[in-house]
Amino acid sequence: MDLATLIEAVVKVHVVLGFVLLGVPLIVWMERKVLGHMQDRIGPQRVGPYGLLQTIADGIKLFMKEDILPTQADKVVYFLAPGIAVVTALAAMTVIPFGDTVTLFGREIPLRITDVNIAILFLLGATSMGVYGIVLGGWASNSKYPLLGGLRSSAQMISYELAQGISLIGVIMITGSLSLSEIGRQQEKLWFIVPQFFAFVIYVVCSVAETNRAPFDLAEAETELVAGFHTEFSSMKFALYFLAEYANMMVVSGVAITCFLGAWHGPLLPGPLWFLIKLTCFLFFYIWLRATFPRLRYDQLMAFGWKVLLPASLLNLAATAIVLTVMG
Amino acid sequence: MFETLLFGMLAGIAIGCALGVVFHRNPVHCALLLVGVLISVAGIFILLHAQFVAALQVIVYAGAIMVLFLFVVMLLNIKGETPLLTPGAAKFFGFLFALIVFVELIWTAVQPSPEGQGMPDAAPLPADFGSPAALGRVLYTVWLYPFEITSILLLVAVVGAVVLAKRKFF
Amino acid sequence: MAPTVPLVWYQILAAVLFTIGVVGVLVRRSALVIFMSIELMLNAVNLSFVAFSRQHASMDGHIFVFFVMAVAAAEVAIGLAIIVAIFRNKETASVDDVHLLKG
Repeated sequence: MDLATLIEAVVKVHVVLGFVLLGVPLIVWMERKVLGHMQDRIGPQRVGPYGLLQTIADGIKLFMKEDILPTQADKVVYFLAPGIAVVTALAAMTVIPFGDTVTLFGREIPLRITDVNIAILFLLGATSMGVYGIVLGGWASNSKYPLLGGLRSSAQMISYELAQGISLIGVIMITGSLSLSEIGRQQEKLWFIVPQFFAFVIYVVCSVAETNRAPFDLAEAETELVAGFHTEFSSMKFALYFLAEYANMMVVSGVAITCFLGAWHGPLLPGPLWFLIKLTCFLFFYIWLRATFPRLRYDQLMAFGWKVLLPASLLNLAATAIVLTVMG
Repeated sequence: MFETLLFGMLAGIAIGCALGVVFHRNPVHCALLLVGVLISVAGIFILLHAQFVAALQVIVYAGAIMVLFLFVVMLLNIKGETPLLTPGAAKFFGFLFALIVFVELIWTAVQPSPEGQGMPDAAPLPADFGSPAALGRVLYTVWLYPFEITSILLLVAVVGAVVLAKRKFF
Repeated sequence: MAPTVPLVWYQILAAVLFTIGVVGVLVRRSALVIFMSIELMLNAVNLSFVAFSRQHASMDGHIFVFFVMAVAAAEVAIGLAIIVAIFRNKETASVDDVHLLKG
């Protein structure tokens, strides 16, 4: 590994992580603004123009707050859990391509942090590790509502991970590759949402459940569980959970875009810009969902995952396999 | 050099975590330490060019099986028991037996191979060694019947788990 | 590209992990920890399978690991269901307290 490669890697890591860390306050602002307007309110407007700096102000407030450690908490795990949540979310970010290659200073630079040939497996691994952040946070607080939230989320995330993974297999079968950049490259002519529409729908529903967002936010259902798994977390630990949730949203949206919505391809504009536009639309869609749907009951959630999404994804898989075989 | 260093680190973490699994009182900590073992073993798999198996290890073992463990520990709220270890002669014989197993395993490991002196040199690897495609090719041709039987085994396990969880025994 | 770490080191690591698993099964009382120790032993075996697979440049060892994982998944599903069933009746997860053939 020569020096230039090293510099390239370091720069890319910093750009992507900086993008995520700066993007999260913007998404939170967007969420509050959009939710506000959908509910006939204005949303934040005091701090900065259009309330743009509201989230930054909230972040600084969280920094300053007292870090409360519950007396009966399991200290090590309590400190570890928010970290796991953030690290896994950021790790998953590393394999998502946001453009093809650009040539800079005479070097061909691929626009992604790493291009491993089993990117999808890496991604599934990272997200399945993400469950620990939530489950352990709920358990380590040693308090009943967080524990219930943690239990709920562990069962929920395992159940939906299955259908999510299977829905991606259709795309893998078409491209014959587990590398996300290869999958992105093959969508220049046809976006995979066309042949894999059902898989796309299943993936989107599952990814909402995976990120614990409304209407599947049973892990933190505030009407029943106070705030769910992060009830006992305050100050920066709470902020880390917040960060992890939004970073995870970016990851699942990024995967949806890469696998189904043509990755960075689009007319006229450069690739990364198209990726950004699609990402914004997708995140808007998430917020829209939250404003529209009431929360499911827990048994409905599990039944939906196991009795509808899983069989549907398997059917889609079988259909894809048959079509691919017949077409040769 | 780098590989040796990485191996040493991962092996150290794996052994440390494994000792923790066996001697820690709190079952949740045990489960977490076991996750540590699984992940460092996955790292060693990558050193051995087995990327797909490493990914499976993380996704299936650490991501699903261990979450199930944690779920049960949390659901039943199992506390660490006192005393931690089986009392009396059983403990003594347990350690003794483990020691015998250890000596035996090490002795077998350091034996020179029957073909000649020392270890045979590692065979050169094909380009796609350890990739999902290579594994799939072997799995669905040579090992097809065992693979199908495994699916039946898993089905039986699902049915068994549901029956055990639903019915009242004893 | 010859591996810089000789096969025998992997074997020794696998032996150490396996032994720790054996100790766990033999001396711990909690059924859950015994279960985890079994997983530990399975992993040690997997490690040596993968190491031999690398040595002989053959994928068969990986296939074995795949089957071991499938069996481990089935085993955990059943085993945990049994532990939950016992806990419901006896309020204990210690193997020393479950010594009757008939509850």
